[in-house]
Amino acid sequence: MLGIFVRLLGADAVFLRRYLRLALVYGVLCGLTIVTLMPILRHLLGNQLEAAGQWLALLALGVVVCWYLRRRVEKAGIAVGIAVLRGGRQRLGEHVGTLPVGWFSAANTARLSHVTTQGMMEIAQLPAHVFTPLFTGVVTPLVILVALLLVDLRLGLVALVSLPLLALVMLATMRLGQRADQRYQRDTAQTSQRMVEFAQAQSVLRAFNGEQGGTRFLEQAVAQQQQAARKLIQLSALSSVLNVWAVQASFAALLVVATLWLGEQAGAAFDSAAVIATLVALVLATRFIDPLLDVAGYSEVLRGTRGQLQAVAELLAVEPLPEPAAPQSPADGSVQLEQVGFRYGDDQPEVLREVSLDIAPGSMTALVGASGSGKTTLVRLIARFFDVTQGRVKVGGVDVRQMSAEQLAGQISQIFQDAYLFQGSIAHNIRLGKPDASEAEVLEAARLAGVQEILERLPEGLHTPVGEGGARLSGGERQRISIARALIKDAPILLIDEATAALDAENQAAIAEALARLRGKRTLIVIAHQLSTVAMADQIVVLDQGRIREQGAHAQLAAEGGLYAHFLEQRRAAKGWRIGEAAGDGVTA
Amino acid sequence: MSVEQGVADPSARGPVAAVLAPIRGRLIVAGLLAALGAMLTLAPLAAIAEVARLALAGGQGLDQAWPVIAVGLGCLFAGMALISLGDLVAHLADNHITGTLRLAIIRRLARVPLGWFTSRASGEVKQAMQDDIGILHSLTAHFYTTLGRSAGAVLASIVYLFAMDWRMAIVSMLPFPLFFLFFARAHQASARNMQAFGAGMGRINQAVVEFVNGIPVVKAFGGQRKAHGSYREAVDAFAAAFTDFTRPLVSAMANANAMIAPVSVLGVVLAFGTLFVGLGWITPVQVLPFALVAPGICAPLLLLAYITHDLNNATGAAQRVQALLRTPVLETDGQGAGKLPADARIEVQGLGYHYDPRNPVLSEVSFTLEPGTVTAVVGASGAGKSTLARLLLRFFDPSAGRITLGGVDLRQIDSAQLYRRIGFVLQDVRLIHASVRENIALGRPSASQEQIEAAARIANIHERILAQPRGYDAVIGEDVQFSGGELQRLSIARAVLLDPPVLVLDEATAAADAENEVKLQQALSRFAQGRTLLVIAHRLDTVMHAEQILVLDQGTVAERGNHDELLARRGLYARLWAAGGYAKSRVTAQVEEH
Repeated sequence: MLGIFVRLLGADAVFLRRYLRLALVYGVLCGLTIVTLMPILRHLLGNQLEAAGQWLALLALGVVVCWYLRRRVEKAGIAVGIAVLRGGRQRLGEHVGTLPVGWFSAANTARLSHVTTQGMMEIAQLPAHVFTPLFTGVVTPLVILVALLLVDLRLGLVALVSLPLLALVMLATMRLGQRADQRYQRDTAQTSQRMVEFAQAQSVLRAFNGEQGGTRFLEQAVAQQQQAARKLIQLSALSSVLNVWAVQASFAALLVVATLWLGEQAGAAFDSAAVIATLVALVLATRFIDPLLDVAGYSEVLRGTRGQLQAVAELLAVEPLPEPAAPQSPADGSVQLEQVGFRYGDDQPEVLREVSLDIAPGSMTALVGASGSGKTTLVRLIARFFDVTQGRVKVGGVDVRQMSAEQLAGQISQIFQDAYLFQGSIAHNIRLGKPDASEAEVLEAARLAGVQEILERLPEGLHTPVGEGGARLSGGERQRISIARALIKDAPILLIDEATAALDAENQAAIAEALARLRGKRTLIVIAHQLSTVAMADQIVVLDQGRIREQGAHAQLAAEGGLYAHFLEQRRAAKGWRIGEAAGDGVTA
Repeated sequence: MSVEQGVADPSARGPVAAVLAPIRGRLIVAGLLAALGAMLTLAPLAAIAEVARLALAGGQGLDQAWPVIAVGLGCLFAGMALISLGDLVAHLADNHITGTLRLAIIRRLARVPLGWFTSRASGEVKQAMQDDIGILHSLTAHFYTTLGRSAGAVLASIVYLFAMDWRMAIVSMLPFPLFFLFFARAHQASARNMQAFGAGMGRINQAVVEFVNGIPVVKAFGGQRKAHGSYREAVDAFAAAFTDFTRPLVSAMANANAMIAPVSVLGVVLAFGTLFVGLGWITPVQVLPFALVAPGICAPLLLLAYITHDLNNATGAAQRVQALLRTPVLETDGQGAGKLPADARIEVQGLGYHYDPRNPVLSEVSFTLEPGTVTAVVGASGAGKSTLARLLLRFFDPSAGRITLGGVDLRQIDSAQLYRRIGFVLQDVRLIHASVRENIALGRPSASQEQIEAAARIANIHERILAQPRGYDAVIGEDVQFSGGELQRLSIARAVLLDPPVLVLDEATAAADAENEVKLQQALSRFAQGRTLLVIAHRLDTVMHAEQILVLDQGTVAERGNHDELLARRGLYARLWAAGGYAKSRVTAQVEEH
């Protein structure tokens, strides 16, 4: 657990080490100070007040030093927490900045933001709230144990034997809850998913609520979660009972041994000094037990903590895209794929197979194919969302793996379906494509992307804030701003994922206009759905099940009577569809 | 006693007490068990003191040591058993209440207007159902037992010590008021900075969300450094705010903690003990109970001080849970509730809807859907088409006017009855994380395999399902990834199985490729046959054959009639038709020549 902490802290680990050193010294000193109660009590019970007074002075000194150290420990603990909140978050941010764009799925993004916000906050509070009491709870009894061994061998031995047994019990109980905990976590995650689904699919769930179908799935998930929770409760109740009982059993053993010995004394000649020594040792033994009881109570807290740290460890373990030591500059706007194969995971099917493709600078290529044929993946590989599994992707004659991220990004501009906008004005978001763009340039890009119409509606125009993630705008409006953002960026290659449905006529118009204007000036690679787009292309690439099946110009492919000709036929049929006619008619109308 | 104040504060108590009312008795029992248990666990310490008294009184009393120790140990283990029992009672009560609350929320939300869901992020709904109730868990499962245990231990210790010697008892207690002094000061310090801290927390959360969601965009535009820049700034600013927030807290808390560290308490006890022995007020052996018991007060007292924190957290959560349980629901009208519609005729009379009265989305909309006819609704985006469809499906209730189905107001029809009669296929396809079979049979879980397959055939998706290794048992999103168009067809199969006489349809098909689009259209045509149809149209040519076309403009019906009549009017419809370019575009015409 400390290992993950050290990795998260990086160079800031010095704070952690300093804190741990201080906590160790503090724990030892607390133990030593408590040990002085032995001579004090012995002298007191033996009515030697003066000697007791001298030891008391030492105790007072110990208390003062402990006080001082405690402040140092708290401050050092806070310093660790701040290092986590500052350095740890920065390190995590830098790390995820190096991850492939493809890694940022919805699930990963949600997990990442949870870890960076709440997760880090909880980890930051660990030293002050958990480590300090736990650490001193272990160190102090150890010091007392040594003292106990020195003054009363029998009690010392009992305590010595009890320690490894206690450690074993605590380890065992931690294991005991672990599996139930994992099951509970899993069931909770599933239920959370069902809750999100419940909210998102509410209209459907409600309309299809015959025979209580609507809430059935969620109710089942909740019932399962509750059951897993009950199981966890039983086990964690059992484990905390076992922990505390184990500690108390050691205490009982100490008590019984001491009483046994005292019982013997009753028969033998009464030795008051020996009796006092035993009694004092017994009092010391209670100080040995007390902190251990606290430690026993922390096992549940530790389990939760481990979960947070585990999440951080998993994030840090994600491999970044390797960056070349000596990056090479791309020569032009050409793109080549050479025998490219790709799969999303080792156990996943191949999405692309032996794909070779040559795209000349300034040409326009349309990618056509059924969904799942690999169009999107192909475009993503060019932008290096992922690295290929086989073969290579070259941009401007250079393997994308031999370029720095900045060089590649400088070469490519993208218009994709899911547009994320940053908090700030519309102008701010458009300028993201070209930070030093003049107001006139921004306006021009806005006009080309059909943003003008949005601007006219808004009193603040270009300077209207878009809200978090662009929430103040509609999906179509966000999309058009993202088109403007891509257009203002002066990159030789433009990748476009065309709108699929006829839904967003304005967006489609903006894209069509951009294509017409940029044709011949930039290298255009379009995932195409519209006939008009496909017809404009210099080269049409038909993908089917991850392979290129046809390739060529429109007239040539249309005449061949293959997949592309079929595509054209389907498109025409779809266009002629009319509602309200008998089934089947729509296809031939 | 800030602890008592925290608990007794009525504003803090209200929502929590209300939410926990069903398990109040059990929580009190759990707390009492824990308190009693904690008192009993102190017995061995008293036993040690007693044995010491016997031993030092001269050897003869020692034969009584065994019974004393035995009683002490017996009490110890009985006390532990009681504490464990209290924990168990509290946890089970907690398990009961969290389950009950979650179910209650689910059932409540299943009846609120759908608009409630669209105005909220799904994450918020999850947060309320899962996380807020999770916060209540720490309260129900731990707070009351911890309170009982700590209070029991502190109380028993104090009583015992005063019984032993009141003067020693008073001086032994000296560190504790000092502790509360420092503790209160720490809290004042943190309260002063709390607001700034909360604001900082909000800012950093926002910065993280933006950073995390924006990375792909930022990487695509090669501005990594810039995005990191604003994230870095937010992180640094928060770290600084955190430092300011904790600085006054740290030293006050360190003082408070040091005050009641066992070493300090022991020091006080032994110093005064020695002094009092010197003064002849007490005998040396009388110091022992104090050395044994007084340091043990520290831990429970510290706990008492800290757990009020939990209570504050839980109050917010309880308030949110309560608010959720009070969300207004779509009521089925009391009078004549559960009436059965006579037929499938739908009449819309003077329908109006608004979120904000100054800005009506729909007003004075009236029309009739005759059984077996096709009606299309057209108009620019924002004209109110989708709202109209949603009102017809009773996703929410109208602000004015009414909709009747077979002569009965929608508000008087039981929702299961309503959706058996009105089906829909909307753009926004939602499938459930479950098998294909369960998804198709969502509205009729008892449907037979034959019925399910027949529905899938009508929806043109049967063969695609059979092509999956697990067929109808394939879990959507796990065993199989369907494309947008395929999901649309699955949602059609789902609606087909319910066989509703009225169908509300969104014409826009989000099929990603031509093949899918044709299949989808075939499916829709087959399904629509012979039903009363209301189509929300985006492309005018698709609905040109409809018997009735309603042209919506800014929430009112601007024109109505069939295609030819509307074109002849040369009004809004004619303009839309012309603007849509349904006469073939030049490029498309070229393509189609080949």
